[in-house]
Amino acid sequence: MLNEERIILMTQMASYEQGEGRKNVKIGSYFRSDYVAVQVLKSIVCAIIAFCIIFGLYLVCHYEELLQNLYEMDLLGFVKDILTYFLAAVGGYGLFTYLVCSWRYASARKSLKCYYHNLKKLGSFYNETK
Amino acid sequence: MTDLLELKEKIKLIYSKYEAFIVPVAKFLLALITINTLNGRMGYMTRIDDMRIVLIASLACSFLPVGIIILIATLFSLMHMYALSMEVALVGLCMYLIMYLLFFRFSPKGSLVVVLTPLLFAMKIPYVIPIVAGLLCGPSSVVSVGCGVGVHYLLGTVIDSAPNIRTMGEGEGQILEKIRMLVESILGNKAMLVVIVAFGITIMVVYLIRRMPVNHSWTIAMIAGAMMNVIILLIGDLLYDVNLSVAGVLFGSLLALAVGKVVEFFRFCVDYGRTERVQFEDDEYYYYVKAVPKMTVQVSTRTVKKINSQRARGNPAEARSAAGRQTARPAGRGAAAEAAGRRSISRQASYPRSRSDDQRKGRSLTIGNAENVEDYEESMDEAMMDEMMPDMTDNPDENGDWQ
Repeated sequence: MLNEERIILMTQMASYEQGEGRKNVKIGSYFRSDYVAVQVLKSIVCAIIAFCIIFGLYLVCHYEELLQNLYEMDLLGFVKDILTYFLAAVGGYGLFTYLVCSWRYASARKSLKCYYHNLKKLGSFYNETK
Repeated sequence: MTDLLELKEKIKLIYSKYEAFIVPVAKFLLALITINTLNGRMGYMTRIDDMRIVLIASLACSFLPVGIIILIATLFSLMHMYALSMEVALVGLCMYLIMYLLFFRFSPKGSLVVVLTPLLFAMKIPYVIPIVAGLLCGPSSVVSVGCGVGVHYLLGTVIDSAPNIRTMGEGEGQILEKIRMLVESILGNKAMLVVIVAFGITIMVVYLIRRMPVNHSWTIAMIAGAMMNVIILLIGDLLYDVNLSVAGVLFGSLLALAVGKVVEFFRFCVDYGRTERVQFEDDEYYYYVKAVPKMTVQVSTRTVKKINSQRARGNPAEARSAAGRQTARPAGRGAAAEAAGRRSISRQASYPRSRSDDQRKGRSLTIGNAENVEDYEESMDEAMMDEMMPDMTDNPDENGDWQ
């Protein structure tokens, strides 16, 4: 005998597993600290590459001024400024990633909790039929 | 309205039935239009401005994920930039990398929006994007739309600078000059910043209002978003002199409202007239629930019943059995017995519920020979009488009346 409620539940769960669930299961397989740390590390690498590209473009655009003022300018101050911008950009981006990934992890766990609850419910349906 | 709802249900049915074909065809068309638009606007590399290559690329996109369309469109645009000048391609690559590394990795689902935004800009209807993105997507679509706007203005800058770049030489100083000119044109493009800010705020306004628990929230969100978009664009135009067409902005916003209403019809069609408010409680909370029913209508279906007499005519044995069945079970009695709902289990086992049941299961049922059929009819009559009039005795009383 077909159990309509069970079929609906199974269809919903299959749809979840194929769509959003796949990503959530992947996130849920990590501990919170591990997941957030990996994502923040990736972001830091991305931010460093992006900063290097932007700095390279800046150097290309202002190379004439830099060459003209190379002996007059305060090189230490210039490097300090660049480092400050670098740390602010990379740190800010890392912090932003930390916040976004923490929120993503929390919502993925919440969603997985609901999924596991449905799994239990499905198991109870099977036990009832036995 | 009923006709429209029926049409919507029919479209849904068709989509669910032919989804396997519709989705690849849609992706193919999107890729074809995107690449053709790119070739039409840029077209510096004549080798890839060939219909065969465009068709092959579009066919590849049709069965690959939507993100591949972005990749292929990026490759096409970079090749056109390279044909114009290597420095332009380098600047383009740097811009794409920055977008991917910093912004796009946070909203990988928004690849469709990133493709559609420059496409709609090219079609002169960009104001549809923030309204529809606010209605259908979340706040993260701000990033995707921002990237799309950035790509549009990057391509626009390259196209506008192309005559200057061509006249410039190939010397060392000229190379750096080209890069500087492009970077400064892109970063100094106030129109791009104004549009990104306007679209970002519009998306957030539409998203926040459409989630509010008020009647007609989607319509209010659309109108508020369109007004906000127009106001920010006009203020930006006044402050930075970005040369926006006021008529274009107004007509574009009206078109965006029309498209938004169509999206609302398909995605959020509810009947506020039948809103119900319920209140209940459990151990921890009081619940004040507002339930708004969806507008739905059943699609009328026509059932064609075929009465096939070929089996009876074609096979004499089956014809006999069919005749036997007809004799054995008059329709009226069977119906009466079913209505009584008290048929005995033994009779159910020996007597099928209906002739069509047997035909559906692809088997014929012969109930005895002609003599048995008569016996069966008699026993059936008695049993049925027992069921329908169980309190009556078999014999009349002294006065001749039945009890």
